[in-house]
Amino acid sequence: MAALTFTILCALVCCSLTEKQLNASSPNIIIMLMDDMGWGDLGVLGQPSKETPNLDAMATQGMLLPNFYTANPLCSPSRAALLTGRLPIRNGFYTTNAHARNAYTPQEIVGGISKDEILLPQMLKKKGYASKIIGKWHLGHRPQYLPLENGFEEWFGAPNCHFGPYDSSNRPNIPVYNNSEMVGRYYEEFVIDRKTGESNLTEIYLMEGLDFIYRQTMAQRPFFLYWAPDATHAPVYASKHFLGRSQRGRYGDAVMELDYSVGQILSWLQTLSIANNTFVFFTSDNGAALMSGINGGSNGPFLCGKETTFEGGMREPAIAWWPGHIKEGTVSFQLANVMDLFTTSLSLAGLSPPDDRILDGLDLTPVFLSYSHKLKDRPIFYYRGNELMAVRLGQYKAHYWTWSNSVEELKQGINFCPGQDVPGVTTHTQTQHTLQPLVFHLGQDPGEKFPISVLTKEYQDVLLRISPIVEHHKRTLIAGVPQLNMCDLAVMNWAPAGCEKLDKCLKAPASDPWKCDWSH
Amino acid sequence: MSDMFVITVRLCAGVLSTLLLLLSGSLASPPNFVLLFADDLGFGDLGSFGHPTSATPNLDRLAAAGLRFTDFYCTSAVCSPSRASLLTGRYQTRSGIYPGVLYPGSRGGLPLNETTIAEVLKPLGYATAAIGKWHLGFGANGTFLPTNQGFDHYLGIPYSHDMGPCKNLTCFPPDVKCYGWCDVGTVFVPLMHDDAIEQQPVDFLNLERSYSDFAVNFITTSANKKQPFFLYYPAHHTHYPQFAGPDAAGKSLRGPFGDSLLELDNTIGNLLETLEKTGVINNTLVFFTADNGPELMRMSRGGNSGLLKCGKGTTYEGGMREPAVAFWQGTIKPGVTHELASTLDILPTITKLAGAKLPPVMLDGVDLTEVLINNGKSERESMMFYPTDPSEQYGLFALRLGKYKAHFYTRGAAHSATTPDHDCPGSARLKAFDPPLIFDLEADPSENYPLNVTESPEVQAVLEQIKKAKQQFESSMVFGASQIGKGSDPNLEPCCSPQCSPKPSCCRCS
Repeated sequence: MAALTFTILCALVCCSLTEKQLNASSPNIIIMLMDDMGWGDLGVLGQPSKETPNLDAMATQGMLLPNFYTANPLCSPSRAALLTGRLPIRNGFYTTNAHARNAYTPQEIVGGISKDEILLPQMLKKKGYASKIIGKWHLGHRPQYLPLENGFEEWFGAPNCHFGPYDSSNRPNIPVYNNSEMVGRYYEEFVIDRKTGESNLTEIYLMEGLDFIYRQTMAQRPFFLYWAPDATHAPVYASKHFLGRSQRGRYGDAVMELDYSVGQILSWLQTLSIANNTFVFFTSDNGAALMSGINGGSNGPFLCGKETTFEGGMREPAIAWWPGHIKEGTVSFQLANVMDLFTTSLSLAGLSPPDDRILDGLDLTPVFLSYSHKLKDRPIFYYRGNELMAVRLGQYKAHYWTWSNSVEELKQGINFCPGQDVPGVTTHTQTQHTLQPLVFHLGQDPGEKFPISVLTKEYQDVLLRISPIVEHHKRTLIAGVPQLNMCDLAVMNWAPAGCEKLDKCLKAPASDPWKCDWSH
Repeated sequence: MSDMFVITVRLCAGVLSTLLLLLSGSLASPPNFVLLFADDLGFGDLGSFGHPTSATPNLDRLAAAGLRFTDFYCTSAVCSPSRASLLTGRYQTRSGIYPGVLYPGSRGGLPLNETTIAEVLKPLGYATAAIGKWHLGFGANGTFLPTNQGFDHYLGIPYSHDMGPCKNLTCFPPDVKCYGWCDVGTVFVPLMHDDAIEQQPVDFLNLERSYSDFAVNFITTSANKKQPFFLYYPAHHTHYPQFAGPDAAGKSLRGPFGDSLLELDNTIGNLLETLEKTGVINNTLVFFTADNGPELMRMSRGGNSGLLKCGKGTTYEGGMREPAVAFWQGTIKPGVTHELASTLDILPTITKLAGAKLPPVMLDGVDLTEVLINNGKSERESMMFYPTDPSEQYGLFALRLGKYKAHFYTRGAAHSATTPDHDCPGSARLKAFDPPLIFDLEADPSENYPLNVTESPEVQAVLEQIKKAKQQFESSMVFGASQIGKGSDPNLEPCCSPQCSPKPSCCRCS
């Protein structure tokens, strides 16, 4: 009898152990990446609007990271950094056409993600993960650069921003892909009403996400879902059900729908009983687009927004959620960034990071899983194009270059820092401070308004600590081949794969490449 | 087990618990009230309101387990008037606490015929205590001290802790001197116990500890006696010059301001722990808010109004919209409310919850019980914005009606200097607007983008409503005689050694 009990007990323990190990070795990973959503757009981060009950709940069930950064204040480089775990200056998502210019992947761009880069889904495949990207890709739209060529098994979404509509003769509308073939174009099959702001794209992206999660759960396959809707990027849109529902206008409607969708995905994980085995991370690709005025988001207390290397441009809302693993209702002040998501995901999947290249991400699992409460001291690098504009270390941030945008653009009404003209800081010419950087204590002055006097010991001490880090970074940096230098109308989305079936192929003009002009 | 059975059981349990609640409600003593009032704390200063570095674990706990207000206003962008409104439920213009603030030697104070929350509760047998910054007058023989306004006990500084020389005083351990000079030419800041001076100058390093001990003792004594209590704790934190004792100094990521806030947070932690230990936590409403917006002129030593425009001294949102949290374990459901509410509403709400009688005067507050208990609608439809120097000639500077706010006048303030927004500093002179500047605060909480009044019929309709509300309100407003206008007399300043000379510097407790 005793022996039998022991056997049963053992079997139970062993079973639960194996199950645990299996689970622990390959949790599902969901990265939710918003587009142009600002740090201050979430209720839990101080937004007084009423749009984010689900994200606020996600934060109370998980961990909030108020010191989380993107790698670049613009979409494409930020996304390339997330998926490669490397700064854009290393992975090639920058331009050398002019000094310190933000570049991205409009449809006339010739380049895209380099074949030499290793993307997160390529790594996860080694552990049997099924990977899907839903929404905006933005790492190049030419065939060799598309998601299915770069480790993803599935894709529903578009390679570029949803600008338009275009006239199809000078410029084609952006295609929407299902896996490797287009299934229509924005403003054609996939309607975005520029007048009313109505589009059901977020709804489609939600359904695609729920479906993917369900299929992988049934197939008992670990999965990686990269959920990248772009409703909060101009032109902002929302589904009919959400239009006019927020009290913040169309932008608020879009936030509200995204928040609802996040809630749906999380509760779907609970319904399928895989919440305890699914790591979910919510963040955004860059700061709110303040140049959109009332139709843009909020960066809370931070200075300026998208396109700039001030805090408003690069500090992002961030929530980690994993019931049973991440302690609920916690806040971690760890300095972290999107490239950490690459390294952390590998760690969660039980994979070693590639050792043939420099990675910029840290493994955050000790932070998430509370193995260690000690914050890891690490720098945050703020790049704009090919220039290291600023560095944060601990609570201090040193600006080596400052620039909002040009006087000419400002005169046209394009303002990256509305209402926030800090003399000598939000400069309208590229201003060099390398000999005497502007230093701020972000703990005491998150809004970067009061530079620390160069005459103080505090200033000298900070420089003594930051300078060697900057020096080391620059000395050891091997810059990648810039991918965003050349433009050509011939490479636009004239005839994407699958266009024949839809009779949607357009004729491309002859190739006439030029050096892209990046104005900010 | 059939579904029907489960439902029946649940129903029974539900009815039972409701019955129990009703029973306990009728048998239990009236609820206790703990009213926490921070100083110069901005809308964006708490972690739960979006500050990226503030360390406020206990306030965060209150916010997570309580009801957080996003649209909560004080009535003045400076201290004294805001406090007068909080304690009386009336705009400061009625009680005469204007223009500006009271000083150590001020002849006036909150008129004794005004009814404070403490005075509302006294007839019901409440024990009442005030701790911290009073700032509603001192006067000849301490006429205006809390002990003459319904409070059984008082421990605190009767005005701002920068209203006395501070250059050589210690604000942080071991001996970090206070930043700046504070007010010179006046007596050192005293610590009063009831109406007697206990310390002069006050010992900043131990001040918060004294307050915390006093409050813990007051709660414990009242709870042991089963006496309902009202504790009013208007803190000195986070007003300039920031100070903190050894438990908080250097413990935040936010420097002096963060340490000061953390010290207040520690006290709140002690109070919560005491409420738990004494078994009264389920019968106590804890309410936290602040007197006015952040003093931005202190730069990185000042507060933060988050995404709101300007700060202290102005009638922009940053000057008067405040973080607020209501916590009542078991009674208030955790959550966020976007209902319009104000410090004016505290008195009517407490009166209702205690089952007390409203004072027979013109009140400006509404009862928030529905909002607190049932997450319901607020009866408050509008909020009035008086400048720091209200007058019948100018009347309201701004008015919020629903989600719209109209500015009839705008003006910057020295307190809000050094912000990059040119509308905030004192150099932004008085400007009149006709038609007024109208903002949709839901879409544009930062007051960046005025609506087009002339071209939009919808906005015009709103403007008509606003004008009507303004006219209605102003015709009901009877300005009380200005208490601050009565001026100051150096002989009235509190002095521990009244016979000493030369004054004011000789006024010290030996």
